[in-house]
Amino acid sequence: MRSLLTLIILCFSFSTTRSQSKMPALDKSPMDMSYYPNNFPLLKIQDKITEPLIARVVYSRPQKAGRVIFGELIEYGKVWRLGANEATEIEFYKDVKISNSKIKKGRYTLYCIPYADKWTLILNKETDTWGSFKYDMKKDLLRVTIPVQKQVELTEEFVMAFEKISGGAALAIAWDDVKLTLPISF
Amino acid sequence: MYTRKKILFTALFFTGLVFTACSRPAKKNPEENMVKQIPAIIKDSNLLSIDRSPMDMIYFPVDYPKEKMANPGLQDPLARVIYSRPQKNGRLIFADTSVTKNVIQHYGQEWRLGANEATEIEFFKTATINGKRIAPGRYIIYCIPSPDKWKIIFNSNLFSWGLHMDKNKDITETDIAAINNDRPAEYFTMVFQNAAYGCNLVMEWGDVKAIMPISFN
Repeated sequence: MRSLLTLIILCFSFSTTRSQSKMPALDKSPMDMSYYPNNFPLLKIQDKITEPLIARVVYSRPQKAGRVIFGELIEYGKVWRLGANEATEIEFYKDVKISNSKIKKGRYTLYCIPYADKWTLILNKETDTWGSFKYDMKKDLLRVTIPVQKQVELTEEFVMAFEKISGGAALAIAWDDVKLTLPISF
Repeated sequence: MYTRKKILFTALFFTGLVFTACSRPAKKNPEENMVKQIPAIIKDSNLLSIDRSPMDMIYFPVDYPKEKMANPGLQDPLARVIYSRPQKNGRLIFADTSVTKNVIQHYGQEWRLGANEATEIEFFKTATINGKRIAPGRYIIYCIPSPDKWKIIFNSNLFSWGLHMDKNKDITETDIAAINNDRPAEYFTMVFQNAAYGCNLVMEWGDVKAIMPISFN
């Protein structure tokens, strides 16, 4: 019992030390950024830009780490923040169209409601927020349902990246055995 | 024996709970609640993998997104920084140009205050730094370090990679003191800290710390 007590005390002192430390450690789910056109900042300093900046997504990247993601870790039918930590942010630098709806240039948050065969993607106006805990449906700008594509090669780290398609770009979203693409036209 | 084991397990379980509760924010994310399992051997997708110098984001007021979650009526944030966090990795961080091996950044030369993309700072209200007014908006910032001070430069060339600064787009610059950091930082770190006049943007790496005072009006 004494060793157990020591353990409890150790745990307490460890967590106290952690809360005293002001400087943040590295995130377990690090943040990342994707642009359309892809690698826009690099192209910019190399004078290789052929089309203007259209969109940027800022999100965090949780890892699969041996877990079953969709339907288990992330429950079907519930709003998910498409990443980790802060709510995922998408910014458009010109007006675009998603599923025939006009989206004005600006900064938005992006959420989803996953199901086994399709996801509802949600564009919302409330920015600079954490996760989906206070997600407010009244601030939705758009909801669009897109089909799930199963992939054979698993994606370990949640990822979002833009792909060029005719008439615009698609935001590709992949994690575990699931991939989806959201077409954006401009 | 069985009962003792059971008690021990129960106690351990609760200890774990206490530990988890103490060391994490009150609201838990589902993915963080999971017990870590030994990862199976998984082939990475050939999409992007995680950066060696991961990106991070800070707000002023401090922890604004979490504060907003607790208090949805919160007024707009004042500032946000998006930067990347390179690692010291046994190297010398700052040195003069006579040092050529195992050094990251020479004094007197432009540094992107991070890694990868140029570091981005956004003010949601007019900011004043060392008497210089900076209009609300988004900028990139970079630094020219010296042993005792850093020149911080605001520039309008947004969405660019941090290895080439377009001097024609410099907006304003200001010198801030570089001091000794008594707790060396392995990763380059930026944080906002409250100050009577607004906030300090504290930047530290290795044994160097630089503090930029910002007020808002």
